[in-house]
Amino acid sequence: MKRTPENIGQPERRSFLKGGIAFIGGLISFAIGVPLIGFAISPALKKGSKKWVDVGIVDLLKGSRYKKINYTFQSKDGWVEINKKRSVYVTDKGDGDFVVFSRVCTHLNCLVRWNESKGQFLCPCHGGVFDKEGNVVAGPPSRPLERMPLKVEDGVLYVKEA
Amino acid sequence: MKRIIAFLDERLPLRELETQLKKPLPKHTNWLFSLGSMALFLLLLQVVTGAFLAFYYSPSPDHAYDAVNYITQEVPFGAFVRGLHHWGASAMVVIVFLHLLRVVIYGSYKAPRELTWIVGVVLLLVVLGFGFTGYLLPWDGKAYWATVVGTKVAGMVPLIGETITKILRGGEEIGAVTLTRFYAIHTIWLPFLVFALVGLHLFFVRFYGSSGLPKNTPEEMQAGKPFYPHQVFEDAVAIFILFIVLAGLALFVPVPLEEIANPTDASYDPRPEWYFLFLFQLLTYFEGPLEVMGAFVIPTLVILLLVFLPFLDRRERLSLRKRPVALTITSLSVVLIVILTILGGRSPKLETEPSQATVDQAQESQETQETAPADTGVFDFNIEDGQ
Repeated sequence: MKRTPENIGQPERRSFLKGGIAFIGGLISFAIGVPLIGFAISPALKKGSKKWVDVGIVDLLKGSRYKKINYTFQSKDGWVEINKKRSVYVTDKGDGDFVVFSRVCTHLNCLVRWNESKGQFLCPCHGGVFDKEGNVVAGPPSRPLERMPLKVEDGVLYVKEA
Repeated sequence: MKRIIAFLDERLPLRELETQLKKPLPKHTNWLFSLGSMALFLLLLQVVTGAFLAFYYSPSPDHAYDAVNYITQEVPFGAFVRGLHHWGASAMVVIVFLHLLRVVIYGSYKAPRELTWIVGVVLLLVVLGFGFTGYLLPWDGKAYWATVVGTKVAGMVPLIGETITKILRGGEEIGAVTLTRFYAIHTIWLPFLVFALVGLHLFFVRFYGSSGLPKNTPEEMQAGKPFYPHQVFEDAVAIFILFIVLAGLALFVPVPLEEIANPTDASYDPRPEWYFLFLFQLLTYFEGPLEVMGAFVIPTLVILLLVFLPFLDRRERLSLRKRPVALTITSLSVVLIVILTILGGRSPKLETEPSQATVDQAQESQETQETAPADTGVFDFNIEDGQ
């Protein structure tokens, strides 16, 4: 609406100005807000590429009973190429029929420890207990320990890593 | 000097400022009314020591731990400055909690001071946010694992929990991105927020005036000593005692710095900073599908209860002896928090069985299909040095 001496102070003029302020303010907020939110939360939306990482040589792991294996693999942490460290329990159910348990407690991500005398995985944080199959026996966890996808190739045991 | 004051006086409402400063307090107050000023002092102490710590700190997993070590071991007065910041944080939690208790006990949250109270509750959460983001920064074992657990707790929020965890962590796991995020939140976002909220809080306190003890009659509300210099002097004494305690702690009690964060540590028993132990302990009581209770439902209800307290309890202010229900609830809550904190601190740690030797990945190459020669399968092979 064109400003004329007559319409200054008129209700229509005022509501036009208010609308204009809200429009400009809203547009700028939107134009800055959307990219900024995307900027901040983008790492959460990125899907990690799964890959096979070797855990060890099958011959050496045969007969393992809840053997704790630490392994590292190349991964990107933001802008850094790092050797990510991971820790799992490998057990051989008989003649190379391996099960690899993730050590990450399904409650709040502390690392569980295998207790040989009890035959259980114990979590050091909130008392979660898992049996030798990784099922919850006691404590807060609601899901069994994760069994990592695995494969054996050329005598090497691989697990799938995110 | 006089001319400067005269110059300013002509241009600014200095008289109004003076009136505000010398505004009389209620007739009956006590030293508990210095707790707010003590919290304000602690905020300034944290801002100053934090700003100086930032001279040497570097928020990256490669440098953070060494930087904190360097500050503590090599920078002159470094251990003292870090000590003040560390113990100041603990003191902040204590003082803010006592401040809240004082307000609850004397019913100071009641009309017309509801807004002061609500801003205060938000400030309490901001203080806890400072704590949570602050102790990741040294990047030691406690820092790492408390953050693993803490960010996962946020994941208990129904439906969007997992996304929240990822946003907090800046990805699937704690790493370089998490550290820069927490550093930014700790040193930029939360300070901005806290300044705004403290400004608002103080404005409300001035605007409505000190609440005083419940026994003040309406006539007595403005019949006490002036705020300046009387109350300010009392505050200064309280602050001085607090400072002596903090300086003593900073000088004589070394701030813990554990081993550097290790995501595969076989024997680490994660425990949070003492002021989160009650929450940590609470989480042990809810099993299976109920885990969301301890992590989300109860904390949310408590926060909502606090925020809406002035609207739930609308009766006139009375001395505590005449409010048996409020007294009981308050005492029980305090006892519960103290008990949970003690239990959390004492929660048994796991023994690591000596038979559980760690085996490192037994070959040189990863992600490749080539088979490693059999003789690289040495159990104590250190993969990091080997590469």
